[in-house]
Amino acid sequence: MSEAQASTSGNRAGSTGAAMRRWLLQPATPALVFLALLLVGFSVGTERFLSIGNLESILTSVAVLGLIAMAVNQVILAGEIDISTGSMMGLCAMIGGIVSTTYGGLLLPLLAAVVVGALAGALNGFLVTVGRVPAIIVTLGMLYALRGVILLITGGEWVSGIPGETRLLGLGTVLGVSVPLIILLALFGLLSLVSRDTIWGRNVYAVGGNRQAARLIGLPVNRTRFLTFVLVGVCVGLAAMVFVGRTGGVQTNAGEGLELQVIAAVVIGGTSIAGGRGSTLAALTGAVLIGTILNGMILIGVPGIWQDAVLGALILLAIAGDVLRRRVLGAEA
Amino acid sequence: MIASVITSLKGYLDNAKVSRELVLFAVLIMVTAVMASLSPYFLTLTNLLNTSRFFAEVGLIALGMTLIIITAGIDLSVGSALALVSVAVGFSFAAGLPLPLAILFGVFVGLAAGAFNSLFITQLELHPLVVTLGTLALFRGVAFGLSDADAVSDFPAWFDYFGQFFIGPIPGQLIVFIIAVVVVWLILARTRFGRYVYAIGNNEEAARFSGVPIRRVKAALYTGTGFLVALAAIIYTSRVSTARADAGTGLELDAIAAVVLGGASIYGGKGTIAGTVLGLLIIATLRNGLVLAGVSNTWQLFMLGVLLVAAVFFNEFFRKEE
Repeated sequence: MSEAQASTSGNRAGSTGAAMRRWLLQPATPALVFLALLLVGFSVGTERFLSIGNLESILTSVAVLGLIAMAVNQVILAGEIDISTGSMMGLCAMIGGIVSTTYGGLLLPLLAAVVVGALAGALNGFLVTVGRVPAIIVTLGMLYALRGVILLITGGEWVSGIPGETRLLGLGTVLGVSVPLIILLALFGLLSLVSRDTIWGRNVYAVGGNRQAARLIGLPVNRTRFLTFVLVGVCVGLAAMVFVGRTGGVQTNAGEGLELQVIAAVVIGGTSIAGGRGSTLAALTGAVLIGTILNGMILIGVPGIWQDAVLGALILLAIAGDVLRRRVLGAEA
Repeated sequence: MIASVITSLKGYLDNAKVSRELVLFAVLIMVTAVMASLSPYFLTLTNLLNTSRFFAEVGLIALGMTLIIITAGIDLSVGSALALVSVAVGFSFAAGLPLPLAILFGVFVGLAAGAFNSLFITQLELHPLVVTLGTLALFRGVAFGLSDADAVSDFPAWFDYFGQFFIGPIPGQLIVFIIAVVVVWLILARTRFGRYVYAIGNNEEAARFSGVPIRRVKAALYTGTGFLVALAAIIYTSRVSTARADAGTGLELDAIAAVVLGGASIYGGKGTIAGTVLGLLIIATLRNGLVLAGVSNTWQLFMLGVLLVAAVFFNEFFRKEE
């Protein structure tokens, strides 16, 4: 409603209205506004919520989700989808955990996890681009296949007793700021830059916006799409080591259901599932929003069992809201 | 060398008059032979008829899924919807609703779930993939929330009739499934509605300009699939005598795998009921054989996942360039 008013006044009142309208059309705007309202609401409702400590703990707890969501954001911007990240995270964490308990150290387990992630992502990308299999089918199949690989490697055993030096990525602090938070913000800065200011970043938008047109003007469509899947694998590997650091052990069901939270974060943040529209900020905002809601649900006493229902409702609200916002603001050409 | 082999293989398959159904039938025989060699119990009439008790549930859903995939759509929420219906029947019964009414309520919930999907897909013109990904989480979450992760299993004896009755040696749900196959086949192959389904999948824009009522067809498809899900849910709940929120986890994978294995193109416009039934038989044979060979459920899901990707890969790879 307020959007409709802003739109009509924008037509009449010139530059202020136009700027307002442009701001309203930014992908992440509704999610940011919603997040701000939510933070105020929870703070009024519960006294402990808006403390720096609690905010940092929310941000740290969404680090795994946020890292993966910002990468999947690129896949979705390119007009594809990846729902294999839950099992992929479990596999990377398992490999990283095994390497860590066998050899110790930080870099070797991290390298192992990232390489495994990149290989899994490359397989996704290969099947989608060269194999011409739709991404939803490839990654749905991989979601189940990779979970099987975890069982093949471990025989159903859990990995525990991760040494302290490996857990640095999850538990360490630098100048009083937690390492997961630093990694999250660093990747946000990096991906924002790459997405806005590099040729590959622009190609992702072009391919997702109109693949036929991108091909006709000679952009490397397949290479661009392939690399988005590899990026997801690399970030999943990184996120897996943050996860391992925080939990100190890996169960065979690690990461189950994470893929849904990731997709939810991206679309709730405001990146269009149709591809071509969105931003890294949107994915990060979505992840923080989900973290806030799940955290807030616990604080106000909603049983955790409703978590999936809330997540599903949020996805539907977000995608419906995206369509309605664009209809109201007349952005659809 | 390899490239030339692939090209000639492609050319052969394009020109060959071998129908896809015949190839699938050969695969089915091969799978059956392998499974029979793994377990002596596999190739007995008792076991084969028993297998049909399991695949009837997936089969009912796969029938609806076939039509949806022919329109270039997809429904990922079927497993969760099955759980929701199961919980609706079980818990409304536990709350004191007479069982016949509880079953009717379950059917209503299934229809409502399908209609809910179609509302987003037709009115907001959102891609079925994201909508049903959302309802995949929503339906199961609601099922878990309402049931408080508890189970209901004190059904009266007559309820077992739906999932556990036999006519001679033939399980009842096999008959239900065969009737559903005939009905859906007639709709797809012999009615105007069936032509609309193919028309939408081939070229939605062209279909729109030819006056095909696209929204109504899609609404009917997703809601109808909701009805088939409800039917499957009632049979399932009766067969295991338990209503639980974790029923049907991963069921969408079985259903979609059966449909694409049967030759339906995920890009729409192609697919048959005969193909789906054969795809279903192959998957059911694989699953049953693996169970008899003592392979765990996670491994079965692994093989299904690989099979699904491989089936679509060959479907699209050997399709003529557009």
